[in-house]
Amino acid sequence: MPTITYIQPDGTAEAMTVEDGTTLMRAAVTSGVDGIVGECGGQAMCATCHVYVRPEFAGRLPQIGDDEDEMLDCTTAERTDRSRLGCQISVDAGLDGIVVDVPADQV
Amino acid sequence: MTALPASGIPALAANTRVPATLPSPAPDSAFQGAETVREAPVADWVTLADLREDPFPIYRRLRAEAPVHWVPAVNRYMVVSYDACHTVEQDADTFSANEEGSLMKRAMGHSMLRKDDPEHRADRDSYGSTLRPGTIKNHWMEIFERNHRRYLDQLKAKGPGADFVWDYAAPYAAENLRLICGFHNATQEDLQRWSQTMIDGTGNYADDPEVWAKAAASSAEVDAAIDEMLVYLKDRPDPSLLSGLASMPIPLEAIRANLKMTIGGGLNEPRDVLATTAWALLSCPEQLEAVRSEPKLWAAAFEESVRWVAPIGMYPRQTTRETVLGGVRLPAGAKLGVVLGSANRDPKVWEDPESFNVLRAKKPHLAFGGGQHFCAGAWVGRASVAQVALPGAFAELRNLRLEPAGSAIAAGWVFRGMTSMPVAWD
Repeated sequence: MPTITYIQPDGTAEAMTVEDGTTLMRAAVTSGVDGIVGECGGQAMCATCHVYVRPEFAGRLPQIGDDEDEMLDCTTAERTDRSRLGCQISVDAGLDGIVVDVPADQV
Repeated sequence: MTALPASGIPALAANTRVPATLPSPAPDSAFQGAETVREAPVADWVTLADLREDPFPIYRRLRAEAPVHWVPAVNRYMVVSYDACHTVEQDADTFSANEEGSLMKRAMGHSMLRKDDPEHRADRDSYGSTLRPGTIKNHWMEIFERNHRRYLDQLKAKGPGADFVWDYAAPYAAENLRLICGFHNATQEDLQRWSQTMIDGTGNYADDPEVWAKAAASSAEVDAAIDEMLVYLKDRPDPSLLSGLASMPIPLEAIRANLKMTIGGGLNEPRDVLATTAWALLSCPEQLEAVRSEPKLWAAAFEESVRWVAPIGMYPRQTTRETVLGGVRLPAGAKLGVVLGSANRDPKVWEDPESFNVLRAKKPHLAFGGGQHFCAGAWVGRASVAQVALPGAFAELRNLRLEPAGSAIAAGWVFRGMTSMPVAWD
């Protein structure tokens, strides 16, 4: 089972092991990670599961789809080239050990 | 910074009757291991008239007593704490949207709002990109600007004493909705009539035959208008919902029900958040000044307004199995009212929750619902109200004010908004 690490803006790290195929949003919401809301339940509709993925994992991420792309323009914290919606990234063995930074603002 | 007092209209709030005696809580019983579980307290002191006038003092007392109550007047369990409402939203397997005996199904047909995934998903996907931010930016914003201009001019032509809700917010919201739906064969007045009469049907617990007759007449008009537009839009596509649906393999019955739900759910909400936000800002001059000097705060004013007075204050769910919610035992098949209007004022989440304060620390409110039923029109509402109407109206109507003072009226609890809001300007 893969591991995900969420880093809060103050540097606090939370690591968790999840079932294959769990999204970055669902894992965070289920475990109560601060700063990841996931209002729309994973439909790429609300832009409240914004995360910054550490660059060393960029090459292993799925492409940004059209819905995700337009929603990333609606995030509260600044969009950067590391920005992704947590609900659009399922974590499996290929992304084991992924580290993401949680933005300071989500709503 | 002046903050608005707790409840809508102070004069009305003072009249709200909330008896001092509390119903004694049912004895706790052991259930599900270590968690203490009790039967739902019975809130027999809650009346529909009090809820309609000002629900917030009632919610305050309910929250202080328990997260979930049985409320005889509503014939439902009312879920009033933030945590319990959030739990319901995140667990569609236990808390189904597909309610038995739903009056909404009778008034509007079986729309996506009363379906669970995967049936809900197919309907939701059929709305395509019409309501998404890209289409709003590339297509609808220009139309919102035009409609804003048109109805603000009508308000100005009417002169001081005009009603901000009925002479501006309502026709503006209705005309936007007409074009988003693709009803090129109807008027904004039709949309307002359809919306209100069908909504009255969804709330017709008294089973008034006249209410059913009006809802049925509107429903038939909408069916006829849809049939005509589906043919018309096939050859003349545009970004509207009906245009997208015209070329989609989706049953006509679902199209009809979903459009009726959208007519009901897409008109009152932008209308009410527009007027409620304007009313709140006009009642708090310091907050209005803060927003005027920092235009980014229009978005904050919108979010704070829907937190403070959610335009849809309650929606139904039904349990699929026996469960425990907020420490309260619920039987299988229990009908719930998920009271967002109360969750959004839970003091466990917000400091000074009863006050309107655009500068408060931002936290996720539940006004748009959550999970699979998260409001499909959320971005349309934000764009049409917070980006176009509010900044536009306040920029143009110099020294806009409530006049005569104290005559604005807020009402409702399932749907809450301003029912009268006379204004003047220089």
